Amino acid sequence: MPPMIDPSLFDQIKSKIEEDTTVRKELEQIVDELHQHVSFTQGLLSKIHSTPRSKYATLLPQVEEGIKSQVATVGKLSAFASQYPYYKYNHKWTRPLQDSLSTCLLFTWLSTHTLLTPLQLATYYSVPLNLTAQDDAFHITTEEYLLALVSIIDDLSRLAMNSVTLGDTALAVEISAFIRDLHAGFQVLNLKNDILRKRVDSIKYAVKKVEDVVYDLSLRGLIPAAGAENEKKGE
Amino acid sequence: MSGFKRDWNGNAKKRDGPKPPAKKVVQNQFTPMFETLRDELDQHHDRRERIIKASRDITALSKKIIRKIDEELPKNIQAEIDTRLADISKHLATIAPEIQGINRYRYARSLMCLEELVEALTFLHYLKTQTLITPEQLTPIMEDLVRKGITPSEDVAMTDASEPAAATPEQPQENETPKVSLTQDDYLYGVFDLTGEMMRFATTSTALTGTMAGGGVGGDEQPRTIVEDMHELGSFFEMLPVGQGNRFQWEKKLEVTRQSVQKVERLGYDRTIRGSERPKGWIPDLSGGDQAEEE
Repeated sequence: MPPMIDPSLFDQIKSKIEEDTTVRKELEQIVDELHQHVSFTQGLLSKIHSTPRSKYATLLPQVEEGIKSQVATVGKLSAFASQYPYYKYNHKWTRPLQDSLSTCLLFTWLSTHTLLTPLQLATYYSVPLNLTAQDDAFHITTEEYLLALVSIIDDLSRLAMNSVTLGDTALAVEISAFIRDLHAGFQVLNLKNDILRKRVDSIKYAVKKVEDVVYDLSLRGLIPAAGAENEKKGE
Repeated sequence: MSGFKRDWNGNAKKRDGPKPPAKKVVQNQFTPMFETLRDELDQHHDRRERIIKASRDITALSKKIIRKIDEELPKNIQAEIDTRLADISKHLATIAPEIQGINRYRYARSLMCLEELVEALTFLHYLKTQTLITPEQLTPIMEDLVRKGITPSEDVAMTDASEPAAATPEQPQENETPKVSLTQDDYLYGVFDLTGEMMRFATTSTALTGTMAGGGVGGDEQPRTIVEDMHELGSFFEMLPVGQGNRFQWEKKLEVTRQSVQKVERLGYDRTIRGSERPKGWIPDLSGGDQAEEE
């Protein structure tokens, strides 16, 4: 009678579990590194709330340095993670990666007032964007892009307020226009009951916050010339 | 889309005030980008829902198989299992193209059915051979299932699975039979559940036949019983290192397995005690045991 369990089966499964553990440990190291770069950059970016735009010229290059080290780490992550099924370990890095993407999106908006598209963002990170089912490799997912976008909306709504405090009312108006457009964009999506929906639902509070700021400004006639026309009609 | 209010007589009530205008979608510079992203998300959600639906069906069918084979394995039951497996084949075949490559792990959580299917297949294999099936032995069985599901009604399966544009990336697979691969976790957690089924089987068969299931066919001096098999499975899992990914689930399953092993142990003990007492008394009454051994 054959034995209940094939003698080779145990070793086979054991070595697979051990391999999995090693992969996870290695990934954790890289993700930790990414996390550190991200926190540093986020910290730098938090200075925008107290820095007038005239001083951006010194602040933003530092932020860019931070983003560059993030990109380097993401490159390492991409090379390592692409050896394994993407979605098997994706949950390990998706949060820090989203945070990283949002620092990059915020940085480009602050410096050029443009929004990077998913493709531009992926190009910046030199990782693929969308893959067909057959290429199982590291990439930036649609959800990650959108979640990163939601988090910069949050940050910008805060900046709108603080920019007024710093006397830069024009920035508040620009942010308001940008957020309103993004909010409209998010309405296009068909969301399921998941994390993305939860986060996207929070955009309306950011919109309201910024609209309140703009209202306060227009009430007192503080809107600078370019943005003023539309507001005055409403008065 | 949304429901409507009814008046006292149950007729649909007219809305108060003017009908709200259709939701106006503001067009701006970002709209095209969001539309592309929407299409990508929609594809993902649709695919996920199809997989979940098939997964539920497969789970239900697998459970039915398990319930059936709980009661020994005469020919008529084998026939029923075959029809259930044929149903499972069809479901597997419809989702097979959608869970290739990167999508295998993407929808791993929606594919819990594979665990149940492994449980059913391992149990079936155990009852027939009294051994634990290996992942390598399962691979051809799975391939076979998917192939059987595709061949009889290829056109139906294809129209079911294909929506206008979404399926295009998966189309190249059409010619060769797509495979539904089992992950190591599918296998291991399926085998964890197997120990529970073996425990149930040991209990019922001992109660019905008065003998411990197992052995018999080999004609060895001491045929191996299910008690030893359970012990071996128990030690197998105890000795394996705990996977880092889902430690919590692993511990939980391991605890259940421990309990199952102990229950069967207890059965073995009771059998031994009663078995030694029996020769003094009334053995002939327990003739049911002989039938079990003939099989």
